Amino acid sequence: MNLLMIGLNHCTAPVAVRERVAFPRPKIGEATCELLGAAQLAEAAIVSTCNRVEIYALAANLDLAGPALRQFLHTYHKLTEPLDAYLYERRNRECIAHLLNVVCGLDSMVLGETEILGQVKDAYAAAQQAGATGAALNRLFQKAFAAAKHIRSSTAITRGSTSVANVAVELAEKIFRDLTHSTVMVIGTGAMSEATTKALRSRGAGNILICGRDRDRSAALAAQLGGRPIHYDDWVVEFPHVDIVISATASPHPIITREKLVPLMKARHQRPLFLIDIGVPRDIETACDELENVYVYNMDDLQNIAKENLAAREREINICRELIAERVARLGEWVEERFQ
Amino acid sequence: MTDRYCLWMALLFYVAASALTHRRLRVGGAAASLHHINVLLMVAGFVLQLAGLVLRGMNRQRCPLTNSFEVTVFIVWALVLFYLLIGPAYRVSFLGAFTAPLVTLILLTSLLATNDRPRVPELKHSPWIEFHAGIGILACGALALAFVVAAMDFVQSRQLKSHHPGPTLRLLPAVEQLDVIGVRLLALGFILLTAGMIGGIISEKIVGAWPWPMVAWAWATWLVYAGLLAARTVGNWHGRRAALATMAAFIFLLTTFWGMSWLAR
Repeated sequence: MNLLMIGLNHCTAPVAVRERVAFPRPKIGEATCELLGAAQLAEAAIVSTCNRVEIYALAANLDLAGPALRQFLHTYHKLTEPLDAYLYERRNRECIAHLLNVVCGLDSMVLGETEILGQVKDAYAAAQQAGATGAALNRLFQKAFAAAKHIRSSTAITRGSTSVANVAVELAEKIFRDLTHSTVMVIGTGAMSEATTKALRSRGAGNILICGRDRDRSAALAAQLGGRPIHYDDWVVEFPHVDIVISATASPHPIITREKLVPLMKARHQRPLFLIDIGVPRDIETACDELENVYVYNMDDLQNIAKENLAAREREINICRELIAERVARLGEWVEERFQ
Repeated sequence: MTDRYCLWMALLFYVAASALTHRRLRVGGAAASLHHINVLLMVAGFVLQLAGLVLRGMNRQRCPLTNSFEVTVFIVWALVLFYLLIGPAYRVSFLGAFTAPLVTLILLTSLLATNDRPRVPELKHSPWIEFHAGIGILACGALALAFVVAAMDFVQSRQLKSHHPGPTLRLLPAVEQLDVIGVRLLALGFILLTAGMIGGIISEKIVGAWPWPMVAWAWATWLVYAGLLAARTVGNWHGRRAALATMAAFIFLLTTFWGMSWLAR
């Protein structure tokens, strides 16, 4: 018996191909049962996310199982064009190493992302419920989850946000003790301010004010984000209650200046204020950053931090690979002793 | 087992906690397991230090606050006490990381110094003197921890202002939280300091007048902390300026302590 994995991911296949090969989540269990019968496998599990589709299996004959798995993907998804150019295949120790790399986020589009671990856990649970896993895949997946947990806690592979929106949230969490009590004001609407506000909302930011010149657009965005629309001319009135400002207007001149901010800070009893300037040209005067308890970050600052975080994750890759190699050796020996 | 043996043992645990801090900083992570080990090491050090103080008190038949060595050891113990009370309550896991090296440094310096000699002439026995000294030491412990929190606040604010925060950004709590803890510790320290001053005034009636420079210095310290507390609560002082002022006030308090020891000699 041998371990086998066949699949495609964001590196080998474009989204147009991936979306045709993806398995809808509710049907994964059913598809796994169908796969067991069609490809004469002892055990199987299907991992299907937006960036990858991979089938893990335990098979008696790899030379027969490989083509059978490829045929299954064709038949199940009723494909007319060949998939071979997009597919990769890993066997035994390579298969174990691949799964460990996947769950640790080393094979992800965003290096070190943690969402994949949950997705693989769901895939394993679906295969288990369908009765498609046995001693080999149970051990393989459980050891992979344990390895991911260990690598996440002992290395910096998942540390630091790598997107501008999440970097802003991470900074906000280091200024305010509880985002649920923080008020966020969005001045000017746009994709970036929307993404940042959504990220803040997802971490619990309770009160969101959407301020724009276009009332309809502000109201629509406020409804979407669960906030309150206010008119552009009223931002100064609301300002004393605001903790985080996301500014992304098309104004040619700074709208928040040091001169305006000094009395406003007095009105808000000098509580910390986080100003996120994603407007180009900038909406917040540079001199505002000189004020005590005012933290101003522009697009370049946020992008630089995201880049530094990504670089820090990349520096951890070799440590992760060493930790994975140790586990692959142990698990590979176990599979060879037990099944070969 | 002698009291000094207990104190050296306590120091070993504080050294271990400091080493763990160094590891946490190097790894750059806030692993929960490391934090729990850090707290356990601090608890072990605290218990051993308490045992050392109790043994010394039993030998001397009085509260062990008779010389500058004992006073320093007591302040360190009070600092750890407040850390153990405050840290878990506010879930400030990295407070121990800043506290452990400070505690290690002060205790090591005290144990190596040669100031552990009986005071001549010996202090008069009075429960009010012991109350005055004991409460004063607890106040120093709370204010020392306020100093530690202010240092953390200063480092965190500075990092945020730099626009290129380092790995400690993730380890340290939010500046707003540090500000709240700092003010509460200042308030607690100030209440204890005031109670200690009242104890000092009452004990004056029993043991006679304290030297006037000592009294003036003590009142100056009290006024510094009263002003600082007012500025941070009513005057809306937050951030780096407030953190720096809190650190400066504690340094002034230390000069009072050394000054009083010098005057006592």
